[in-house]
Amino acid sequence: MKLRGLSPLPNRFRTMPLHRVWLRLVCCSLPLSFCLLPLLAGSAAADVQEDEERALKAAVEAVAPAVLRIETFGGLEKVDSVLVGTGPTTGLAVSEDGYILSSAFNFVQKPSSILVTLPSGKRATADIVARDESRMLVLLKVAADEKLLVPQAVPRDEMVVGQWSIAVGRTFELGQPNVSVGVLSATNRIWGKALQTDAKISPSNYGGPLVDIQGRVLGILVPLSPQRQGEVAGAEWYDSGIGFAVPLADVYAQLDKLKSGSDLKPGLLGVSLKRGDIYATPAEVAACPAKSPAYEAGLRVGDTIVEVNGKPVARQAQLRHALGPHYAGDQVQVVAERKGQRQEFVVTLAETIEPYERPFLGVLPNRDPPPEGGGVPVRFVFPGSPAAQAGIQAGDVLTALGDERLPDSRTLQDGIARLEPGNAAKLVRLRDGEPQDVTVALATVPSNVVDQLPPARGDLPLPDQRPAVGKVEIKLPEEKNEAFAWVPENYNPQVPYGLVVWLQSPQEYDFEKLAERWKSHCEAHDLILLAPKSADARRWLPTEVDIVRKLVDSLAVNYPLDPRRVVVGGYQAGGAMALLVAFGHRDLVRGVAVVDASLPRGGAVPDNDPIERLDYYVGLAAKSPQAARIRAGVEQLQKIKAPVTVTEMGDTVRDLNDEELSELARWVDSLDRI
Amino acid sequence: MNSLTGPMNAGLKRNSRLTPAARLGAHGAGPMDAGRNRNSGRTPAARLAPCGAGLLGAAILALLLSGPGIGQAASFSQIVDIVQPKMVKIYGAGGIQGLESYQSGFLISAEGHVLTVWSYVLDTDLVTVILDDGRKYQAELVGADPRLEIAVLKIEAQDLAHFSLNQAVPIQAGDRVLAFSNLYGVATGDEPSSVLHGNVAATTSLSARRGAFETTYRGNVYVLDAMTNNPGAAGGALTDRRGQLAGILGKELRNSLTNTWLNYAVPAAELVPAVDDILAGKVRPRGDDESARKPLDPVTLQALGIVLVPDVLSKTPPFIDRVIRETPADKAGLRADDLILFVNDRIASSCRAVRDELSYIDRIDEFRLTVQRGQELLDVVLHAER
Repeated sequence: MKLRGLSPLPNRFRTMPLHRVWLRLVCCSLPLSFCLLPLLAGSAAADVQEDEERALKAAVEAVAPAVLRIETFGGLEKVDSVLVGTGPTTGLAVSEDGYILSSAFNFVQKPSSILVTLPSGKRATADIVARDESRMLVLLKVAADEKLLVPQAVPRDEMVVGQWSIAVGRTFELGQPNVSVGVLSATNRIWGKALQTDAKISPSNYGGPLVDIQGRVLGILVPLSPQRQGEVAGAEWYDSGIGFAVPLADVYAQLDKLKSGSDLKPGLLGVSLKRGDIYATPAEVAACPAKSPAYEAGLRVGDTIVEVNGKPVARQAQLRHALGPHYAGDQVQVVAERKGQRQEFVVTLAETIEPYERPFLGVLPNRDPPPEGGGVPVRFVFPGSPAAQAGIQAGDVLTALGDERLPDSRTLQDGIARLEPGNAAKLVRLRDGEPQDVTVALATVPSNVVDQLPPARGDLPLPDQRPAVGKVEIKLPEEKNEAFAWVPENYNPQVPYGLVVWLQSPQEYDFEKLAERWKSHCEAHDLILLAPKSADARRWLPTEVDIVRKLVDSLAVNYPLDPRRVVVGGYQAGGAMALLVAFGHRDLVRGVAVVDASLPRGGAVPDNDPIERLDYYVGLAAKSPQAARIRAGVEQLQKIKAPVTVTEMGDTVRDLNDEELSELARWVDSLDRI
Repeated sequence: MNSLTGPMNAGLKRNSRLTPAARLGAHGAGPMDAGRNRNSGRTPAARLAPCGAGLLGAAILALLLSGPGIGQAASFSQIVDIVQPKMVKIYGAGGIQGLESYQSGFLISAEGHVLTVWSYVLDTDLVTVILDDGRKYQAELVGADPRLEIAVLKIEAQDLAHFSLNQAVPIQAGDRVLAFSNLYGVATGDEPSSVLHGNVAATTSLSARRGAFETTYRGNVYVLDAMTNNPGAAGGALTDRRGQLAGILGKELRNSLTNTWLNYAVPAAELVPAVDDILAGKVRPRGDDESARKPLDPVTLQALGIVLVPDVLSKTPPFIDRVIRETPADKAGLRADDLILFVNDRIASSCRAVRDELSYIDRIDEFRLTVQRGQELLDVVLHAER
């Protein structure tokens, strides 16, 4: 261990009371204290605890003039079902001329007035100058001439896990800051954006500083959550021993930008990565829309990102870590491997990515096993689609897209997904054994459902051995949720089946009735129906989202599923739950069908993604109390260019009738459209 | 005991409002409770003192424990040994509807006087006190102070280790403290009570803002940064790092200013006169009800000539909509669009809060309004009858 400043004493120590010098030395070097302590026992330094206590108080005193009380007036009472407090909150002076940093949590209620009590005791009005939407901070400017005391920031490289960290707020008493003592638990949390401490962090010190034993500021206390975004995310961990602080050194680097009134936003690269566990899968670019920052910098589909700003990236989570601290507008150096060669790119991260819109060729592939020599046999051509206009017909076999041969329909789907609506796609079509080049201009995915579909495959003989058909119970040993599946009587294990997970309202669970309605559709469209039951007879709980997923995984063990046609749906409460399942399991769910259910309140709708496709089917009754919100949700989905099919169901609120149900079944059957 | 049944019931009621919320945690009372719930799960494990002391603290502590020849500076474990015999476990009424039937207390005389909090647990003829060594006694209620929410019990025993209330020490923000209690009823029989370690976060008054805390106690408290105030902990002892009595752990209390749970202790010094009175057999007055202090004829907005904007939200900011001419407000220079911030230095952040604050001011008294006009803060002295 390094012995810092033993001889001669640095200036900082000279102005310090003796006991603090002694303590500082102990802090610098624990092994030193091991040999010193027995010698000092019985002498003036015997009461180590007292010295520690004094040092802690001195640290608080040192930073106290910069810790200011904030009061807000008016505003909302509840935000995202969290009851917002009305008490005073804390801010930290960061520049002499009246700039104060605080936590966005303290202003989530959108107050009509903000007052700051200055060190002189005078109150002054303050306005929000800018927000950091990545680290959830706000910068305030007070309308006063009083010079503020600005604390010193601890450089990142001096922070050591295990060092003292003291949380300071000014909420209980104006004259005396409130403190909580802990240690630094980690230095790179929340994707590299925050420090972690075991001091008790809560609304009583959000916005205040986390200081070291010298009273220098480590960071600004904020609630944060590794999974969720928003001002109140992470507030549920208050006083738990898990608290976060944004390093002040990081904020100082952005202070001028904030002072100029520009909000800081998380920086986006604009790529979709190859599916897989983010802690195990390399960062291979699976999609990279033409207008994204990554594409503009030269990155392409198939590249594997291996380094960002000099930090190696072996797995996708590391890429997230490397990009986490960056803001929109930052330039990052990205190294990617392309065909075994390392290539370097400089990407300017963006605030928003132009929403991805899926291009549409207009064909449904046949689901027979792929023909000898590969190719995509066409099952159906959508009337009026680019494929129809180019003369492609059912029965044709598509064998190449551009220069790429098409071994199966998956390759065609991925190839088209990389293009954009309006692009020209060159295809090779095989008809009666004759290849022919066709060029189509890609369109956008239609919102209507076709009236009739031809069978997806020829008749295959049933094998002797088949898993159970009819009503099948799916049981997870660790969960109490009941679930039944309907496997059609003509089930053929050689064919991958689509899956409809239908979530009924908890009060109305009736598997027999549901299965009766779906039976013929399951047979006609190669579908399995799965109906999980909520554990609580009154409601679905958000935690059951993962149980639904486990049930699907458990079913798929015996019944291979077609990954392109996994749909979750439901009526009212079941529909709301279906949306949560779909949003929570993008890697699984390809379609979500909701009847009289709106998008989750306040929850962000996931972006339209070229790889993790998600299509929406919305049943809407004009006189439903939900109608306005459902329509707003549909508009929101259209804005992000998600493929949405809306079925108007008349005035009265009801579940789907038989006709609408067969439309829904055809929609499910056509989800593998290209 | 009969004479106490009335007020005791009031205590029971208050607690039954408070405690179920605490028990339900994440399910019943919103996401802000989740932190509490986690604490609940964790706290019983926090038996050992240096849990929060930090690496350095723990390292040095370890040295102190092991280092031979360290005479004067008593280690936490030595201090704990001295304090534990003074602690008692109290069992009484409860055990239904999520109300615990136990709480904590400590001895304040060699003859078996026990100080604890006044709660529904004592609302029975059968209150049992178990000493640190496991001896079990039926306790008699000597008296209670409903305002301070404390009670004194008596058991028939002699020569007991005890704290002297008169020797209690004051402590300050930043001081290290130990909290002794039987939180969650973890300890039974001769098991010692649980020890938590932390620091004083702040010293504050519970009356700083009206309605912020649901308790009749209005004096100072030590706010703590350890999870001291869990079910069953009320009545426990807070000591400084030398084991000297500093305060008594209070009942569970929600801070409505931040919507978080408050960990706190009532300073021992605040209790001395009341305990003396109880021991002397004097009857302490009923808790002074805030609303009883309201004047019969309070100031009204109408009398001042102020019309606020329509009160449509629960937290409508108190903007002045109109000022009636030739009224006190008009003469004092108030104008439409002024935002009222404080009434006599008490924050009034909504129309409702302004009306409420005014109801505490007598019509014949002068008072001060602080308003915001644009970026400016203005103080205005008003008198409803001038």
